[in-house]
Amino acid sequence: MIYYTLRRLGYGAVVMVLVTIIVFVIMRLVPGDAVSLQLQQVGASKEEADALRAEFGLDDPVWVQLWHWLGSAVQGDLGTSFYSGEPVVDLFLARVPVTVTLGLLAMLVGSLLGLTVGVIAAVTRGSAVDGILRLIAVAFLSVPNFVVALLVLTALAIWFAWSPPLVYAGPTEDFASWLQQVIIPVLALGTGGMAAVARLTRSSMLESLGSDYIRTVRAKGVREKTVILKHALRNSTIAVLTLLGLELATVLGGTVIIEQMFGLPGTGQLIYQAVLDRDYPVVVACTIFYAGLFVFTIILLDLLYALVDPRIRHGRALS
Amino acid sequence: MTQQRTWTDTGKAGPAPAAKPAKPPRPPRRDTVRRVLRSLRTFVRAQPLGAAALLLICLFVLVAIAAPLVAPHDPIEQFRRHILEPPSATYPLGTDDLGRDVLSRAIHGARTSLIIGVTTTTISLVVGTAIGVISGYFGRGLDLAIQRVMDAVQAIPGIVLLLFIAVVLGPSVRNTIIALTFFIIPSFNRIARAETLRVRQEPYVEAARATGAGAPRILYRHILPNMMASVFTLGSLIFAGVIIAESALSFLGIGAPPPTPSWGLMLSEGVRYVERAPWLIIVPAIALSIAVFSFNLLGDALRDHLDPRLQRHVKAARPWFGRRVISRLAPSLAKGVERIEATDMPAGGSGRASEPPRN
Repeated sequence: MIYYTLRRLGYGAVVMVLVTIIVFVIMRLVPGDAVSLQLQQVGASKEEADALRAEFGLDDPVWVQLWHWLGSAVQGDLGTSFYSGEPVVDLFLARVPVTVTLGLLAMLVGSLLGLTVGVIAAVTRGSAVDGILRLIAVAFLSVPNFVVALLVLTALAIWFAWSPPLVYAGPTEDFASWLQQVIIPVLALGTGGMAAVARLTRSSMLESLGSDYIRTVRAKGVREKTVILKHALRNSTIAVLTLLGLELATVLGGTVIIEQMFGLPGTGQLIYQAVLDRDYPVVVACTIFYAGLFVFTIILLDLLYALVDPRIRHGRALS
Repeated sequence: MTQQRTWTDTGKAGPAPAAKPAKPPRPPRRDTVRRVLRSLRTFVRAQPLGAAALLLICLFVLVAIAAPLVAPHDPIEQFRRHILEPPSATYPLGTDDLGRDVLSRAIHGARTSLIIGVTTTTISLVVGTAIGVISGYFGRGLDLAIQRVMDAVQAIPGIVLLLFIAVVLGPSVRNTIIALTFFIIPSFNRIARAETLRVRQEPYVEAARATGAGAPRILYRHILPNMMASVFTLGSLIFAGVIIAESALSFLGIGAPPPTPSWGLMLSEGVRYVERAPWLIIVPAIALSIAVFSFNLLGDALRDHLDPRLQRHVKAARPWFGRRVISRLAPSLAKGVERIEATDMPAGGSGRASEPPRN
């Protein structure tokens, strides 16, 4: 287990270095940097521009910049914003709570609804109920989250002349206002996850329901409710947990659009604004931070898997 | 690679000139057509929802191709006297804030989606599958290196870099395609690799190797045909994802550049007039959702249809394809769901579990 853990962590570190390299290379491949953009507006001379570039370290070769960045990143310094001059870490951390609340609520809604729908569909497999639920699940998977949000907004605006408050207030400051503002984004972000969870639950439930141990349990005379909820569902939840971990990436990506639409001051909005401003340090740091979060979740899930299933731990192929 | 495949070939080819080794006899074309039709029929019968989706997709493609013929007006022509008009006989779905016909724009929007969807899916399918097959077949250090890079690409939040690229390079259809392709390749890589690892251990691959077939031949003749079912199923789902991504980018104003008729762009332009002209939102939203819906539904149906394990409890499995095809496809069909689900799970979970045993 120790060897396995170390190997996974090693892969994680390698992947993170690769992520950093890719991000830097892409940033470099696209023409025009922050300095030339800023100075275009001010109309500064070339010497001034060069001086500014030297100050930000933009005149170094890519690999030097990369090395500097990695060096300070390890020490917890992700650079400073070109615009506000604040450390990126501070900017980011100030906005984390909003996005985390949003994401967790969305995933909670998605997984609870998804599990319910999936179990019902699996139990009634082949019937009309199953067909309708499947259709609904695919439908929810098909309407992009920003379209869901847009449609809900449209409907509410037309029929009730209601729109969510524009100024964000934290849940501790003004709970009612916060709830009004957050409920549509949560539902919009949650529906995609719900559909994905429902589909996976359905297929893995079907698989366990057809297995020998379920037949044994049934033969023992256990009540159908217990068979489904205790024996079959429990074995299906591992797959669902994995999916949820990965759903995190989707939700984080979704927040970029949704936070922008609803004026929620989360990390998604920070990234969007930074991209528009070509605020390189912020974009780089946020991208790598998101990637790191993702890699970390994956490793955690892998380890969890290995803990549950010794076959993985000992390096044997599962399938 | 023109060696004779079996002893029967030699018999049928007869006294072929020595310079030209006998080719294996091809089945007559009509047989192929009939086989495709038959497999289509069984699919339609087993998966009515999937059949409906297929129909919708055909409609979508037809409308997209014939857009200039179907659309009542030019999608970018501005009828300045008819601004924000509700649906009428001349403008069946109303007009937008510049007096453009919404129906025509929606129809041409299908074209934009189709172009981006087809190009992105095709390129990433080919490249991703190639990478995955090579990585999975040759294994060891090469595999390890390739897969770490793929993990890295998949870990990067695509939307952020897509945003960045679009903002810096300026919105264009070409840039959207390039950027999307880059981030979709790992999905195909993952499924192709998992499939290769499985097929590689099959006895017939062993047999081919024993007869002296080289890697290219084994990959092309034995491994690729046996994984196509899973790859195409994923392709259908990815296509839906690409349509969503394209519209999301256009919605943020960084996908297709403005006068281009694109559903995402129509949505973002319509937001300001929600209360006065709700059709500006509803029309593109429905068009987008139906297109994505049908591709998702098709992928879903294919997955169900091609996975014998999921059919076990309902009815006895019917032959899905002609007998020859079935013998080719069948091995790759088992466990389809897991593998496809696993491709949604970059770098982790069951994807990791299917790594080859070390040493």
